[in-house]
Amino acid sequence: MSDPGLAPLQDHLRTSYRHVRDPRMQKVLRVQAALGSAIREYLDGEGFTELLPPIIGPVADPGIRGAKQATINFYGREYKVTSSAILYKQMMAASLGRIYFFSPNVRLEPLETASTGRHLVEFVQVDIEEAGATYEDAMRRAEDLVEHATHGVRARAGGELEAIGRRLNGGGTPYKRISYEEALRILADHGREIPYATEIPWAEEEFLSTRFQAPFFIYDYPRGSRGFYDREHPDRPGILRDFDLLYPEGYGEAISGAEREYEYARVIARLRETGENPSKYEWYLDMLREGIPPSSGFGIGVERLTRYVCGLKTVWEARPYPKVAGVFSP
Amino acid sequence: MSEPLTKLFMKVASVRSAAAAGRTFLESYPVDEIIQKAKHGKDALYPFSDLDEYGRALLGADISVKQATRFSTLDELVLLPPIFTPKRLERMTELAREPFFSDVDLETAIGGFRSRLPLAMASMGSTDVAHSQSPHLGRGAAEAGIPMGMGENIATVWGYARRTKASMPTFKQRLFAYLDHVKEPLGGVVIQQSVEDAFDELWHKVYTDPDVEPFFRKGLVAFEVKLGQGAKPGLGGETKVSRDAARSLKGKYYFPDDPDTVELDLYERHSAPGTYTEEILRGQLRSLRTNFPRARIWIKAGPFRDLLAMFRVASQERIDAVLVDGKEGGTGMSPVIALKDLGLPTLACLKRINDARLEGLRAPFVLSGRLFDGGHVVKALALGANAVAFGRPFIVAVGVGGAKGIRNYLEATEVEIRMLISSLGKYKVADVSHEDVGSLDRALADALNIPFVYA
Repeated sequence: MSDPGLAPLQDHLRTSYRHVRDPRMQKVLRVQAALGSAIREYLDGEGFTELLPPIIGPVADPGIRGAKQATINFYGREYKVTSSAILYKQMMAASLGRIYFFSPNVRLEPLETASTGRHLVEFVQVDIEEAGATYEDAMRRAEDLVEHATHGVRARAGGELEAIGRRLNGGGTPYKRISYEEALRILADHGREIPYATEIPWAEEEFLSTRFQAPFFIYDYPRGSRGFYDREHPDRPGILRDFDLLYPEGYGEAISGAEREYEYARVIARLRETGENPSKYEWYLDMLREGIPPSSGFGIGVERLTRYVCGLKTVWEARPYPKVAGVFSP
Repeated sequence: MSEPLTKLFMKVASVRSAAAAGRTFLESYPVDEIIQKAKHGKDALYPFSDLDEYGRALLGADISVKQATRFSTLDELVLLPPIFTPKRLERMTELAREPFFSDVDLETAIGGFRSRLPLAMASMGSTDVAHSQSPHLGRGAAEAGIPMGMGENIATVWGYARRTKASMPTFKQRLFAYLDHVKEPLGGVVIQQSVEDAFDELWHKVYTDPDVEPFFRKGLVAFEVKLGQGAKPGLGGETKVSRDAARSLKGKYYFPDDPDTVELDLYERHSAPGTYTEEILRGQLRSLRTNFPRARIWIKAGPFRDLLAMFRVASQERIDAVLVDGKEGGTGMSPVIALKDLGLPTLACLKRINDARLEGLRAPFVLSGRLFDGGHVVKALALGANAVAFGRPFIVAVGVGGAKGIRNYLEATEVEIRMLISSLGKYKVADVSHEDVGSLDRALADALNIPFVYA
């Protein structure tokens, strides 16, 4: 390992097989399970169908902020391990209307993320897609889901939460919504100027998050700062119909979501933003050419939700056998 | 012909297995001049042949040119030293003595890096002539304290960390030939990614590589979006590869001859030029910033007619450097018709850079394309470039003396640059300007808005 700064973490995580027997960890894992069943209860109640998540495929989500996709040798061809199920979601929503996965994702994150406390190389996100929904609908869905999960967990694992010593601020919906431009202004007002049209850097995201007492949305990111599948406003070129939900108190990003591009010609131009040959996404483009309906959706990381609900210092305390960038652990 | 020259001739000739091609290169490119510099360093700056010596020779400006060209080059410009030199007075005041050419400060910011000279080693790609020499090229550039480019397809063709051919270095070996010898805080490495490299996520691979991470942290790595190259604007990369290589690369590149069914020694391998609109470029640049916040972002453009429109995008997006490669730029392989008929000559590209300056665009500009001596550097600076990049001179120099050949060649070029800038009565790179250059040709003088020297 080339980075000496990772040594304490390396030492700590080397024995992660043992951490799962730690009494505090046992409570965290029970809270996590309770969150899972609360999420399922909410989504199932709203008419969503849970699907089995795809794990490998010829291409995966390229919009993962500098993280590299993991690859496997698939009978002589290179296949990608799911970095997110985004490419599969649109067709599933076209078929079943409202769908979700508990989707395991692998992202070989840059080493700099090892110290954010918010990044795991392997994690699970609940990946949701809803045919015919706008991104406003998706934001409402996202806040309902977070509210239901955080309330539901109290009923299911109130004892554990009390033992952990975490009390969540009430807040209540609707969550505050600020535009990307407003977020940049807030940052600039605090001497943290960032270049327009890039994703908000980790440190600034954390800072913004400390300014709020309840979860809040940032919406309308500019084109270029997000994945090619986030839909551009038809009447506001350069602005995307997308959003993030951030937890308060410095916990940072909870959810990324958007309305989807679904028209072939628009997607092929946007795909070039990755610098790749669109032919790589052959099946996905074929699917769009055959035609699919508009949809919106989002993904919410289960470990980050657990971290927030339990008030944990870092996200790797929020799952068994965590994998952190550059750290070799069980 | 001296012995290294013979060796070089054979090398050049063997590249296209046609002696005629090598001969043309020797006749039309100042190979002998570069060889002398690579052998003797700054001692090669004076026009003594092995038969002349100081004190006996009578010498003066050579008024002929080696080969008349179809288009104007920087050789049609001359630098115009003045008698009255207020900047020299300033420097004298600082030093409390008369300044010498050695007092010129050449350290330059190039695209987020610091360089000992206003000069970078241009990106060279996967073609054998550059790749086989890359360990020496990288070491030479690093030790000289200048940034170095790494061209397209290196990882895809030669392997990222595992060799695809026993005798050829990998991408990473080539990268670390530079980084292992880098003289911080000077230097930096600029990495391109072709459409085909993107298939394998080359930049992601580099960005997440623990061995490279310390250099990102120090700001010594740039990613370069390549919009064509001088020798073949509008066409993708072209080279020839062995059958084994062709078979393994078949799905990613275009092969006119199918390596599975047609038997040849070498197979033409074409990569795509990549499709851009202003919006696609903008989106790509922004994604780069989001994905790789610790990387510098460069653009390399071929000699396109809409350079100025691209400069505006680059300036708005605060790109670290824009490198423009004129049509005389070097190539491992380009169609003859492209070399003859495609694109703007280097001097015309410099005119676009000059226009961009007048428009107030603030992107830092680097010029390349058949530039090989200190005069070219200073003329480019005078017309608005922040720095230049050399390619072929380094290939010749490395052929003469490995990394040492590069150091010698740069030593000679550095002294040339110092002498020329000091002759203009200036001691800072940034002070060289429009007033320092004139044209031997009236039309050119008008176009560049500089004096026609005979008027």
